[in-house]
Amino acid sequence: MSFTRKPGGKALDILQNLPRISLANLRPEPGTKKAEKKRGRGQHGGNRSGRGHKGERQRGNRPRLGFEGGQTPFYLAIPKYGYNEGHSRRAQYQPLTLNRLQYLIDLGRVDPTQPIDLTQLVNGRGVTIQPQKRDYGVQLVGEGAGIFAAKVNIEVQMASEEAIAAIERNGGMVTTGFYDPRSLAVLCKPVPFFISGQPIPKRMLPGEDMVPYYTDAANRGYLADPEKIQKARIALAQKYGYILPDISKDELFHMLSMIKDPRQIFFGLSPGWVVNMAEKKILKPTDDKLLQYYSS
Amino acid sequence: MATSMLCRRTAIFSWAIRRVSPLKSYNPASSHCGLLHQIANYNPKPLKLNLKDPYIPDRESEKTPEWQKTAKYDRKLFGRYGSSSGIDPAKLWPSHAQLEEMIAEEREWNPPLQVMLKNVEAKTKEANAKRLAREKLVAANMAKMPKMVADWRKEKREAKQKLKDEKARRERLLAEARERFGYAMDPRSPKFLEMVSEIEKEEKKKRKLMKRRLKEEQSHVPPASSSADSSS
Repeated sequence: MSFTRKPGGKALDILQNLPRISLANLRPEPGTKKAEKKRGRGQHGGNRSGRGHKGERQRGNRPRLGFEGGQTPFYLAIPKYGYNEGHSRRAQYQPLTLNRLQYLIDLGRVDPTQPIDLTQLVNGRGVTIQPQKRDYGVQLVGEGAGIFAAKVNIEVQMASEEAIAAIERNGGMVTTGFYDPRSLAVLCKPVPFFISGQPIPKRMLPGEDMVPYYTDAANRGYLADPEKIQKARIALAQKYGYILPDISKDELFHMLSMIKDPRQIFFGLSPGWVVNMAEKKILKPTDDKLLQYYSS
Repeated sequence: MATSMLCRRTAIFSWAIRRVSPLKSYNPASSHCGLLHQIANYNPKPLKLNLKDPYIPDRESEKTPEWQKTAKYDRKLFGRYGSSSGIDPAKLWPSHAQLEEMIAEEREWNPPLQVMLKNVEAKTKEANAKRLAREKLVAANMAKMPKMVADWRKEKREAKQKLKDEKARRERLLAEARERFGYAMDPRSPKFLEMVSEIEKEEKKKRKLMKRRLKEEQSHVPPASSSADSSS
């Protein structure tokens, strides 16, 4: 053919000849912007401006919320019971649904080719943890177990059975680990901690009430026996009716089997080391007593 | 893990395309997993360490406030400026005395795992023992229940019966009094009570007579039978 067609054609011509986009050329999609209600203007917004006729309503002098005209209000008539007693001392675990985890992985905010830790989740702004508000970490919730399809090595603080099943069904690994409040703060915001120049603390063990949870293989606790965990994996697969994939044959087996030491906060960093951000160096102690303390 | 953490320092806003398989392949679309993962490397907030114009307080001068001469502030200086802050890195770790304190505190407040496991076991054992004891008690009491129910029912029946008997007796006495005296009198009056006592005495006498007769019959009958035997 002698006549070579230009790719794009007429569309490209139009684009090249139209003026540049500016605020003068743009308008919102019809139906997205709803007109604001303007009080005190015009036939409908004016006159009493939507305040009603006389009385407390129009004059803005209504009593406080919950007041029932003198009758004992509902919130005082109902007797107290200890549902909320000690609520501010209870441990809280921010829920992380499998839906959210899949969303984060799909958008690339969390890297499934590396072990997923609370630090990774916070870096990818997947969860918001407030260690100062009695948050003890993140709990994996089974919502979205049906659509979850990612092979990950994830470490959380609590996990429901369905969530564990969903992750293991896809060939991943779940571990539940305990972080005491100081370690949690260090884990969530590592860079401000490194700038403060303190040596990495060692993670404390859970309290007596949480020890049974973290030594139980059914919860994939980090203090549990690895053989029991393997048995629990098989049992869970039987319970939920899927074939447990053999991760030892996987190419990412080394990454999937990475687990932290009970005293370790970060992968690749031991307690007692000082990480210096200004010079990108790691300083390690050499004193015997310090070494003994940090490795106990 | 450490590298991915420190990768906050990358100042390039880029989409890093990483393949799942560590093997190099020239055609990304045909990697043998068939998966392409895109990981977003966010442009991180710049770490304003102020390395060009650091403020390092003068330790000897009196004008510097006290809090700028503490160990905590020295650690923060080192963390921000590194070795150019002029602080001996050995000061970053606790001294031996502080270390002793830390160890003592840990020993007191954070017992080792074995101790905690023992405590947990002891508690569960105790709770189980309590529960078992209570259940045994409940079972034992439940086993006693049928008998207790029967006893209670019998008592109720007897009480009712007694009341009925009392009523019947009182009516009989009233009728007796009516017969004797000819008019319905008040059971609380003294005459009535005298009559009642008389009746009781008569009944006692009758009973005694009956007893004597029975005894006599019994005492008579054996000699009669023995004489009958001897005679036959």
